[in-house]
Amino acid sequence: MPPNGSYLPQGNPQYVVRNYYLELIFLGILLLLLVDLLNSVRTGALPLTRLLTFVWDGIIIGLALGLAGVGLSMTYSILGFANVSHGDAMTAGAFLGWSSVFLLVGYGDEAFGQLLLLGVGGDLFASDLGISLFKRPWAVLFGIVATGALTAGLSLLIDRLVFKPLRDVGSLMVLVASVGVAFILRYLVVFFYKPTQRSVAVAPERAAIGLFDGVPVIAASREELVAGESILEFPVGVGRKTQSYLQVTSHEVLLIVTTILLMVGLHLLLQRTKLGKSMRAMADNEELARARGIPTERVINWTWIIGGSCTGIAGFLVVLERGTMSFQFGWLLLLLIFAAVILGGIGSIYGAIVGGIVIGLTTTLSLVWLPEATLARPVAFVIMILVLLVRPQGLFRGRVVG
Amino acid sequence: MTLLDVSDLDAGYGDLQILESVDIEVSGREYVTIVGPNGAGKSTVMRAICSIATIMDGEILFDGTDITRMNQAEIIHHGLSYVPQSGNVFTTMTVRENLEMGGYVLDAIPPERFQAVYERFPILEERADQKVGTMSGGQQQMVAMGQALMLNPEMLLLDEPSAGLAPSLVDDMFDKIDEINEDGTAILMVEQNAKEALRRCDRGYVLAQGQNYHEGPGDELLADEQVRRDFLGG
Repeated sequence: MPPNGSYLPQGNPQYVVRNYYLELIFLGILLLLLVDLLNSVRTGALPLTRLLTFVWDGIIIGLALGLAGVGLSMTYSILGFANVSHGDAMTAGAFLGWSSVFLLVGYGDEAFGQLLLLGVGGDLFASDLGISLFKRPWAVLFGIVATGALTAGLSLLIDRLVFKPLRDVGSLMVLVASVGVAFILRYLVVFFYKPTQRSVAVAPERAAIGLFDGVPVIAASREELVAGESILEFPVGVGRKTQSYLQVTSHEVLLIVTTILLMVGLHLLLQRTKLGKSMRAMADNEELARARGIPTERVINWTWIIGGSCTGIAGFLVVLERGTMSFQFGWLLLLLIFAAVILGGIGSIYGAIVGGIVIGLTTTLSLVWLPEATLARPVAFVIMILVLLVRPQGLFRGRVVG
Repeated sequence: MTLLDVSDLDAGYGDLQILESVDIEVSGREYVTIVGPNGAGKSTVMRAICSIATIMDGEILFDGTDITRMNQAEIIHHGLSYVPQSGNVFTTMTVRENLEMGGYVLDAIPPERFQAVYERFPILEERADQKVGTMSGGQQQMVAMGQALMLNPEMLLLDEPSAGLAPSLVDDMFDKIDEINEDGTAILMVEQNAKEALRRCDRGYVLAQGQNYHEGPGDELLADEQVRRDFLGG
């Protein structure tokens, strides 16, 4: 890979010109869409409330994709293969994590088997346990840690059983093996937990943030906000009515805060610690890393632990935010995670986050123009392909962890 | 006193054998080069010594210890550092991080180690926070050597240190190697630039088709009619 990171032939004016025009055209289209968006808000065709909700939802989806993408990105750059079982490891980890939360909350009050299998058979419902961030804060925090640990353990186990023995066979074989692992995990989940979708958390606490003459006002609910009964406001605006608002839930805020904290932690780990630097060294040049005495197998184990726990935590938080889970959720997210990671530049954790947010915002904001919501997913992939046409290596270039 | 003693070495990659009963000896503080045509197996000797290539038979002693079956971390612990020909720096990391990776096997790297490398290559101190991928070929070669020197090795294995350098920089690089050797580090070097390498070294080996072909003091090899004709282009 040339140092400037471009796959295009160097010094070939034809390519340079074509590249430049494409970029300009895309920027122009983006600008037009932005103008149209602002115009719709101005004329009232697009209520501000709706736009705010799109942006907020896009950021939430994006951060979840990014956090889940970090593991995919790290295993790609350090082990050199695209892990298709990543999404199902997320599902399996989330099921195991939620089982442990159910056991923690309901042990003694409910049947053990029902708790362990998240209410298979239908006698145990989310409302029996009442799990939400404010009602059971410790259970939720425990769930984050437990799901992270269980998914890390699961990832290590899969590596030991499947990927490690295939390490020297070639990345295509490992990729195919990972497809097999994906199916095995998915149908093990189906076997134990049954294919029914179930709800695991109760409705989260809500708050509505309204804008009144540009002044933000927070109320416990949309109704209170519109009625002017705001519980918190700064700096003024008591009792005034507002039409535009954004409704947020405690679980959404938890997802955002946790993801940002983990990203900062990951950044510090990669930049400041010996382990993080050795991971970057190995992603950069494995043979040299080995020649310098870096214990590559140990680095690989840590890669699975860190990537696995980020993925598991992302899965737990997504389920908490949605309130429901089914055996397919990780698999369904996987394609978007791939899109996010590839868009951002595979190997880069910042790329995973930025790519995730671009994909997230695309899937929600495209609803402004799209006639049908089912088209939102394809549009995300169209955007990914367009970006890759202009920047073949993604937004953040290079096979770098960090 | 013999520092490195390679005897009867058969080595290659996987099932492919490249070296056949190769013998190499390097004494403490000695400067030895291996020359020979392309495909003679020069780099494979280096890669076998630090256990990257597959060793099929033979024995490698370093400082009296058998290192034939050791892993790479153990070998560098014994004081043997290898600088590969290409891909010898972490391009996405800074100069300082590259040096840190050079001292990876230490629990903590004493600041003097950085200082010693910076004194040898002052440009590296100026550029300590620069990403190595953005530096020139000559500077990258300095980073590679600096990285290998972080453990203050008893012996340095250099694979084509002049490869890809601008002609004006080749002399500087050889001068640096002379300095490192004069300060007490034994050198085993593989070089395309055979004449210059033989002029500077104490002793040389000529390798052809994976076997020892000739050996002797550098100036003797340079003067040898047959070696000149067959390997040095007249």
